Amino acid sequence: MKNSITFFCVLLALVWFSSCKKDLLVTIPNDRISTEIFWQTTQDATLAANSVYTFMAESAGHFISWDGMSDIGNTHSPQSSESFILQGQFDALNSRVSSDWDNNYAGIRAANTFLANVDKVETTDTALINRLKGEVKVLRAYFYVRLASLFGDVPLVTTELTIKESKSVNRTPVSQVWDFISKELTESANLLPLAQPEKGRITKGAALALKARAMLYAGRYQEAADAAKAVMDLNVYQLYPSFEKLFSYAAENNKEVILDIEFISDNYSNNIFSILAPKSQNGGSNYVPTKSLVDSYEMKNGLAISDPASGYDPANPYTNRDPRLQYSVFVPGDILPDGSVFDPLPGSHSVDEVYSTFVVSPTAFNVKKYVNAEDLSHPGNCGINLILLRYAEVLLTYAEAKIELNQVDQSVYDAINQIRERPDVNMPPIETGKSQQEMRQIVRHERLVELAFEGLRFFDIRRWHIADAVMPGTVYGATYLDKNGDLQTVSIPGWNQIWNPRDYLWPIPQKELDLDPNLTQNTGW
Amino acid sequence: MKRKPNCRLFFFGCCLFLLNSLAVNVAFSNPLYKGNKKDREKNMLSPQVVVSGTVTDETGNHLSGVSVQVKGSSAGTMTDQNGRYAINASNGDILVFSFVGYETKEVKFAGQAHVDIQMSVASKSLNEVIIDVGYGTQKKVSLTSAVSQISGKELVRRPVSSIQQALQGKLPGLTILDKGGSPGSPNTHIVIRGVNTPYGPVGLASRGISEIGDNGPLVIVDGIEQPFQNINPDDIESLSVLKDASSTAIYGSRAANGVILITTKRANSGKVSVTYDGFYAQQKSVNNPVPMGIEDYLRLQNIAYQNVGSAPKYTEDQIKEYVAGSVSDPLKYPLPYNWYKVMLHTAPQVNHALSVSGGNDNIKARLSVRYQDQKGIIANTDSKLNEIRMNTDYKISSRINVSTDIDYRYENNTEPHLINEIFRQFMQNAIWVVPKYPNGDYGGGTQGNNPLLLAEKGGINNVASNYIIGNIKGTWEIIKGLTLTTQFAERSTGVFGKDYVNTWEARDSNKVKKRNLHNNVTETRDNVREWTLNNLLNYSTDIGKHSLKFLLGYSQIDNKSTSIWAYRQDFYNNDVQSIGQGANDATKDNGGGDSEWGLRSYFSRFNYAYNNKYLFEANGRFDGSSRFTGNNKYSFFPSFSAGWRISQEKFWNKLQTSINELKLRGSWGQTGNQAVALYSYFPTLNLVTYDFSGNLAQGYVQRQQANPDLTWETTKQSDIGLDGALFNNRLSFTVDYYKKRTEGILLNLPVPGTLGLEGGPQNAGIVDNYGWEFTAGTHNRFGKLGVDATVNFSINNNKVIDLAGTGPYIYGNDIDPRYITGEGYPINSFWGYETAGLFQTDEEASKYPEFMRPAKAGDVKVLDLNGDGKIDPNDMTYLGNSFPKYTYGAGINFSYQRLILNIALQGASDVGMRYARALGEAGNYEGFTPDIYTNNYWTPDHPTAYFARPTKQDLRNQASTDRMILDASYLRIKNIQLVYQFSPSLLKNVFLQQASIYISATNLITFSKLNKWHLDPESSSGWQDYYPETSLYTFGVNLRF
Repeated sequence: MKNSITFFCVLLALVWFSSCKKDLLVTIPNDRISTEIFWQTTQDATLAANSVYTFMAESAGHFISWDGMSDIGNTHSPQSSESFILQGQFDALNSRVSSDWDNNYAGIRAANTFLANVDKVETTDTALINRLKGEVKVLRAYFYVRLASLFGDVPLVTTELTIKESKSVNRTPVSQVWDFISKELTESANLLPLAQPEKGRITKGAALALKARAMLYAGRYQEAADAAKAVMDLNVYQLYPSFEKLFSYAAENNKEVILDIEFISDNYSNNIFSILAPKSQNGGSNYVPTKSLVDSYEMKNGLAISDPASGYDPANPYTNRDPRLQYSVFVPGDILPDGSVFDPLPGSHSVDEVYSTFVVSPTAFNVKKYVNAEDLSHPGNCGINLILLRYAEVLLTYAEAKIELNQVDQSVYDAINQIRERPDVNMPPIETGKSQQEMRQIVRHERLVELAFEGLRFFDIRRWHIADAVMPGTVYGATYLDKNGDLQTVSIPGWNQIWNPRDYLWPIPQKELDLDPNLTQNTGW
Repeated sequence: MKRKPNCRLFFFGCCLFLLNSLAVNVAFSNPLYKGNKKDREKNMLSPQVVVSGTVTDETGNHLSGVSVQVKGSSAGTMTDQNGRYAINASNGDILVFSFVGYETKEVKFAGQAHVDIQMSVASKSLNEVIIDVGYGTQKKVSLTSAVSQISGKELVRRPVSSIQQALQGKLPGLTILDKGGSPGSPNTHIVIRGVNTPYGPVGLASRGISEIGDNGPLVIVDGIEQPFQNINPDDIESLSVLKDASSTAIYGSRAANGVILITTKRANSGKVSVTYDGFYAQQKSVNNPVPMGIEDYLRLQNIAYQNVGSAPKYTEDQIKEYVAGSVSDPLKYPLPYNWYKVMLHTAPQVNHALSVSGGNDNIKARLSVRYQDQKGIIANTDSKLNEIRMNTDYKISSRINVSTDIDYRYENNTEPHLINEIFRQFMQNAIWVVPKYPNGDYGGGTQGNNPLLLAEKGGINNVASNYIIGNIKGTWEIIKGLTLTTQFAERSTGVFGKDYVNTWEARDSNKVKKRNLHNNVTETRDNVREWTLNNLLNYSTDIGKHSLKFLLGYSQIDNKSTSIWAYRQDFYNNDVQSIGQGANDATKDNGGGDSEWGLRSYFSRFNYAYNNKYLFEANGRFDGSSRFTGNNKYSFFPSFSAGWRISQEKFWNKLQTSINELKLRGSWGQTGNQAVALYSYFPTLNLVTYDFSGNLAQGYVQRQQANPDLTWETTKQSDIGLDGALFNNRLSFTVDYYKKRTEGILLNLPVPGTLGLEGGPQNAGIVDNYGWEFTAGTHNRFGKLGVDATVNFSINNNKVIDLAGTGPYIYGNDIDPRYITGEGYPINSFWGYETAGLFQTDEEASKYPEFMRPAKAGDVKVLDLNGDGKIDPNDMTYLGNSFPKYTYGAGINFSYQRLILNIALQGASDVGMRYARALGEAGNYEGFTPDIYTNNYWTPDHPTAYFARPTKQDLRNQASTDRMILDASYLRIKNIQLVYQFSPSLLKNVFLQQASIYISATNLITFSKLNKWHLDPESSSGWQDYYPETSLYTFGVNLRF
């Protein structure tokens, strides 16, 4: 018995002593980094600057959805916040509206944090620090261009706010936001190199090209023209000879690209094939072209299809058209990535037959830009880079700004015609002697057909104030001959687009108004 | 961070010790060796004589089948039809008379030839009932807090695979939502006295209330925290639910959501007893929604297209052709949706539980083994379970007792890859599909989806888990009344997951409709180990009429978990599944994480009773948690309670015969909830990746605002209760009223977007819960018929009082359920528009403010509630509860001779179900269209129809309105069981002491308004994409050797 008691006591002692642990309540995670040990080395500066890029890196869906919310594209999936926006059924609670607000400010926060802390890094490599500062400032300006375009007056935040401070910020007049963007981009252009060893990093050209775009959006045409001219004068960029191949793997990082989001399949991939390709190609047809876009492409002779002299044949609508139509859009009869024929017309009984289900394209068109046959076997794992700024846009910005300044000189015709005369586009040049009004229509048309589905149309129809004309009503698709030989046009059942005058600016998200009494709502919301 | 290395060694030592003892124990516990030697010697000394007699009940009726035994020997017999028995006994023997439902009676034999016995109906008085409380036990009579207890026997009455299911409807204050669940992963959620803290209803929309974990109770098994699902129901001796703060405060920071205490069965000294419990069940889906007939569906489609200005989709000829074809040639003319018929089948479930227990005064042990195999009602679903538990008790000296328990469990669950997607396709996105062609091809229909293909050939997700808990406990009675208890436990879980996705294709004739080109596997390994140390010092003494009890305790928990996962794709074929065989290229991927937390606690309890009449108790716990920092690390949780046994007062003497026991009690206390993400106070940078030149680049960025001020949620609760027993203890009842307020609820408060960071959790806001609980139990005997019944009824009112000036939080959208968590409303209330029927004319519609788009006759009239001339979110209002306000249950037990009939009822009311997606779309998209819409949607010819006019690809009439919320109140016969107990005289020849067989049926009949939708009343709102609720038809056997 005594032995047992001793045994028990020993056991007890063991339990007590083996379990004591002084630092039981102090746990330090080993799967994350503390802010306190950061900002020591140049590597920290690079790592922090890299992170700001991730806020610019839109998903493929977000990238395409801009034009999917315009007249040239349609987002018809019933649950998507974009489809509510298209149909005028949205308000300050819409998740798309608030997520764009939040994401851009998250990027601005990361940039502000970088700029507030980077000088803590002790280094002699000031060239690197200056270059990184330039990159981050351009990124911050990029976020502000988005915010100003979407919401108008927005709080101009350039420091790391506390929660309390963030609840009392005011909206800065949009003109001051554009002033800030202009100043920052000019400054950073001076900090940045012409070329970066790593593709996808921001260069001097990207800073200037963004400035050209921003100033065009702001209606500051002289600044826009000057910035665009500065990009042209860098002599770094030129148009890629093939429009058809411009969005293919073979053309990645070509000389027309000024800034892109670089992707690599498996490691850092996007799903652009799976959201754009027709259903038969394992695609989702999430964003589809509309009749408005398809009808915008001229005949090869340079005449609009509405022109009786154009030679347009409604029964053969896709022949003799501006080649960019079939480089940008899958039209009925096209060859699909797997080699089969795209046959979406009613009665075809194909997988892509329009109306057969709501997950095929409801317009009988699909987007072809960025849909590459290489991605057929892994549609959700594409490595194709998405271009954010390219030289053609700079040329068109130059032309548009000069036209708006009523300085239509030969350089304007040259800028537009360069694009029309790209070897595999080869459209007739614009003849000189046009009026400002004619030139305005020409450059707007050129932007539409050249830059469709690159995220610009959404903003263009707002700043031109034509959305109320082009957005409302039924959305149509392909025109075809039915069994009786009559022309029929596909339309999206139950779809009725609405445009309210207030829609030119999105509402300030309700959450922001609730939390910050200093914020006001946009007119009409 | 350094850990003493001897911890692990020590534990293995303990395990060895335990296993060693097993052998000794089995040897000692055999009665042939030791226990009965004395009896046998005694029997030899004193000669045996025959004793006989008659056994009757209180009313003089003869009782047959009463077991008559000589205590301490194996000699025994049964009374016959006339209640007569005869048995050999020696002078001085004790005769034991026992019969189900009656008090066991012991009579000392003094040599007389006749012993007649009158037995009385068993009615355990409150006095004898012992209730498990935190770190101890208490007599029910002296309890001053709100605790409900249920015996293990009561729990396993209904054959179930998990305790959560077994508990449903059994105890007041306990709301259990049973949302079905595939074998091995029941989708049940337990909430005690209402929801304290808002939880993300994101999961609500997709899969039941799956985010409710933070509101789940603390589960303590034999003193150690354990996951609820890891306990064998057959091992449970008793289960207590601690509800008020006075009973839970001793668990401090983890107790705000209530505590469930489970005590497992232990051996008694004496003969070895062997039990076997087994059942075989057939599972069947309870509710299968019925689709609209084909012709009605096609016509509905035509009208839906016409209503949005499109041409009708089908001509009359096509309709005729399709209707005829769907019968004669279903391969060419498949029905739109037929998955409930095609995919669900009945599935067997087998359960075997065997236990051996026995021992002597020094060593006792109980070994239990359980095997369960539950197949699922769709292909490739299965759960297998092996479990072994050994509870051993050693008496080392008269003052020292040691117990060692070990429980090992292996569970292997199989289900198809993404099983919820399969159920989602029962109603959505899988239309006009031929499930399987005679040549083995799976059809794809228009969208290319085929749930049968996914179930049978889509791939398998297998999760195998090893769970082991070892627990050693020593008790030392230092002096009389003073005991020291030390308990140490290691709990270890290892989960092995393998989710293999096949390559497959859906095709109709030569057209491939959808394919998955890359087979792939994701393997996961998750390990958790947790050490718990409990030290208790108890002292109790009586001084005159004063009874005093003290408890001092120290406890610590040290938890560490690691996880790792890996991915590869492109295997040679679907049968090659080892991860090393996948493509060795950039597609391979892996990751993992580590985390740890600790809890250190000091606690104390003081009980005082005067004359067993006036009772008082105080508890306090001082808890320190690694989840918080600085001054917030430690917090104190006190509680007080008092009771008055009115029936002990002198003035009660007259009433004593009718009201035997009456106790008034009240309590107040404070508890906490530490359910906050680990390291929330720690400002950290997240690793992000980006790509430059096709090469990965890393980046670091802060995403969340750290909150060093974070601390516990605190719940203060008051409770007033009344316990009583009436009419010779035949009727007992308990009534409780409680009111609790949770403050500083952990909310991810919204922060302005301009901050640029996520807010992270903050302590803000107040939620109230208050309500009533009633329980009553009775047992009666009417001649040969015994009737036992218990009923319970709970009312819970939940209300958000304050959200720190934020909110309301509105989740969901127009076509999914929309919930609000806002001040003045219950957490996650339904939110949306009110309506007033349908517009009957276009003119009427055009005059009313527009909702979404211009309305026409047949559209829902959505009310402009605030009368501002427009319909916008400002017109939305409260539309009902998503969590039941009233829950109730009843158990009725009839016994007649050898037959026992059990009926368990269970229900809930004041709760809604928001039908959505396919159920609500009325064929406007391509979802399942239930037959309830047949001839019941608005057309000019059917102006009185309930449902709005169909509008193709237009969901204007499916917005979140009061029309979309069904009353999900229900009452269901949860279980009916008929038991037959064999006569012991029959059993004697086969060495059985007891044997019974039973048949039972669960979820047999349900009364609910959802019946006409063929939906389960416990269905989740939203997609309906979860494993269906099943009913069980069971045959079972219970044997005792």
